[in-house]
Amino acid sequence: MRCVMFKLVWFRSPPYCGSSPERTSEQSTTLENSTLLVSLSIRKSVRRLLHIMTDFRIGTLAIALMTVLAIASAGGAWAQSAREIIAAADKVRNPADPFHITTILTEYVRSQPKDSTVLVVYSKEDKASGQFRNLVRYVEPPRDAGKMALLDGQNLWFYDPAAKSSVRISAQQRLVGQASIGDVLTVNFAVDYTGTLLGNETIADAEKQQRNCWHLDLRAATSTAVYSRAEYWVEKGTFRPVKAKFWSDSGRILKVLYYRDFVQRLGAVRPGSAVIIDAVDSTLVTTVRFDNPAFQDIPDFWFQRDYLPRLRPE
Amino acid sequence: MPAAAADLVMSAAAAARVTRYVLLAASLAAAPAAADEDTDLSRIPTETAPATSAPTSSKNVNYIGDALSFSGLRDNLAVPLPPPTPASWENWLFLDSRDEWNLGEDWRLDYSGRLNFRTSNALTFPNHDNVLNEMRELFVQFQPNPTTWIELGRVNIRNGVALGYNPTDFFRPRTVIDPLTADPSVLREDRLGTLMVSVQSLWQFGSIQLAYAPRVTLPTAIYTPRDEPSFDPGLDRTNAQDRFLAKASLNIAPSFNPEVLFYHAGTRSQIGANLTAPAGHDTVLYLEWAGGVRSDIITDAFSYGQTTGTLPASVTSLLPNDPSARFMNDLAVGASYATENRMTFNLEYHFHQAGFSSSDWRNWFAASAQRGSVQGVNAALWYIRSYAQDQQEPVARHTAFLRFDWQDAFIKDVEVTALASIDLQDGSGFMQTTVGYNLSRAWTVSVLASGSYGGRRSDFGSIPVAETLLLRAARYF
Repeated sequence: MRCVMFKLVWFRSPPYCGSSPERTSEQSTTLENSTLLVSLSIRKSVRRLLHIMTDFRIGTLAIALMTVLAIASAGGAWAQSAREIIAAADKVRNPADPFHITTILTEYVRSQPKDSTVLVVYSKEDKASGQFRNLVRYVEPPRDAGKMALLDGQNLWFYDPAAKSSVRISAQQRLVGQASIGDVLTVNFAVDYTGTLLGNETIADAEKQQRNCWHLDLRAATSTAVYSRAEYWVEKGTFRPVKAKFWSDSGRILKVLYYRDFVQRLGAVRPGSAVIIDAVDSTLVTTVRFDNPAFQDIPDFWFQRDYLPRLRPE
Repeated sequence: MPAAAADLVMSAAAAARVTRYVLLAASLAAAPAAADEDTDLSRIPTETAPATSAPTSSKNVNYIGDALSFSGLRDNLAVPLPPPTPASWENWLFLDSRDEWNLGEDWRLDYSGRLNFRTSNALTFPNHDNVLNEMRELFVQFQPNPTTWIELGRVNIRNGVALGYNPTDFFRPRTVIDPLTADPSVLREDRLGTLMVSVQSLWQFGSIQLAYAPRVTLPTAIYTPRDEPSFDPGLDRTNAQDRFLAKASLNIAPSFNPEVLFYHAGTRSQIGANLTAPAGHDTVLYLEWAGGVRSDIITDAFSYGQTTGTLPASVTSLLPNDPSARFMNDLAVGASYATENRMTFNLEYHFHQAGFSSSDWRNWFAASAQRGSVQGVNAALWYIRSYAQDQQEPVARHTAFLRFDWQDAFIKDVEVTALASIDLQDGSGFMQTTVGYNLSRAWTVSVLASGSYGGRRSDFGSIPVAETLLLRAARYF
């Protein structure tokens, strides 16, 4: 049989993109200052309100009611902060302007390098949804050269040049293959997930350096979310993503991801590589390296099934 | 309640309680995770992989391979097969290429083909039949502006969203030469293109493609493995009549991109549509339909046999079918379901109105039983099925198709593919399983086993090949 095997190596957009370090720093300061100001304001207001209520002898029932409301509002305040943190970390990973990048995946089995896959990813932020639209072109291994994937929300297609036909794939199928990694690395979490700030945590990064992080719990908020749940650690102050864990629909951990090698790329300091630790197959680890990033004008009409056979090396 | 208003009523004590609760919950959650974290970090490889260059330009795929097959033949067929007897073993050594060259800023040259060296117990050696060159594609592509492409030459245009049968794949007839497998997905890869000029334009909301394939030669008789020309481009297979295709796809919604088609060949026209849509997280639904005025497959086969001089004019009285032309439908409807552990299932139903009805099958077997001793009768009966195979058209009217694909099955880099095609009228079927293993970046090996089952007087139980085992190795470079 002359079957050219489908080996789906799904990718979304590469992990760096976004704001400049200066902008990140400003965001950090603004967020912390605003949190502090709100906190002071709350305390002053509550004190003033309590004083007034006591004076008017409204009674303990009203105080109890306000306490309940306060607890409820506290949840809202945490969620707001979580969303801001996630959005800021997204900007560290993803630039606002369209770009292409070469992604080199190296698979390690029992710590020994085995396979490598080279992809070129073309990414453009959809201004309407806030999520990235991606075209992926396979370069290596030789048997997969020329295969293409369109990953654009629910518009998911795979093109095989041997068959010269495109096949629609499900969201589940974009998870298939080692580099569903791409989704993990690059999705704009603030769009697809609702975050809850679990607290602060100091964890070791990929180089075993201790990082003071926000620890967030992400739950899928849209039908296009690739994973139903994720845990996310973002370094305080820099908003750099440090680590993420991803769950399947059935509730098992699929992979653990560490961002590393932060370097100046595409106008900002962004992760230069990542490590994906397979939580299902304990022998498997994949490293991801990013090469040749460049901003590129990508027309919207590229993101459709019929363009896949037309996508050519730049 | 607006967040700002809620903030105003938050007591300091409540805030402290909430904070303590959240931090406690976080610390409890983090406690077991700390051990996991140590394990995770210890798995990060310390050995760096050799620096990989990052080529960005390659679309070329070339490989050399060998395939050796053994077939078991049925005895006592209900309709005896006229000579020659199918080979019981065959070997293909082949060089397969798919390359593209830039001829300038807006011009490209594409080539796709395979050079085969065949041996079998049905071929004498050495013989010109041992060499077979398949020029699948050779065309020039011109892009006058960013949204338009013009192609001139032998081009493969494949349509359709189904896996087992594609009613809208209008350019498929006669394009497959000596197939190694019955897997429809593979047959779509290994086939000849058509000499044509094609224009496609894209815009944000869809695309339009027009293609014209001229008649350059006359139709020829159906080939057998023993009389395939070695280096002939085979235009008689692909350009024996004028053909025209118009296709439009519409990006109505991200999850709905319908495609509509109009096709004209010779004196017949067809219209068609392809629809797909996701259904939830793990399922894709699809429907492919085509319809047009035509005759049934028996009439078409006998007509083609007479046109090419293979069958006598009297053959039309062999079977009591209705030879009139009328509007007939072709349908493939199915669903694809993917699991978390890299399995994909496809289940399809195929309806081919021009195919054999139950009475056609009875008549086919009865004609052989009653008149098979007359010279040429069995050959004429088998000609219908040869014609259907040559046209890539099902013989059966109602078929169920199941395909299963499992990546990294049991161990990494192993892929298992299985398919089954079942004639719903008599319950007979064909099954095939392939196990492939990527030994390295360059080497791939695979084993294929297939078999057909069914009663002696059934669709699949009446074919001469009962089972096949095929071993294949390929080296990509």
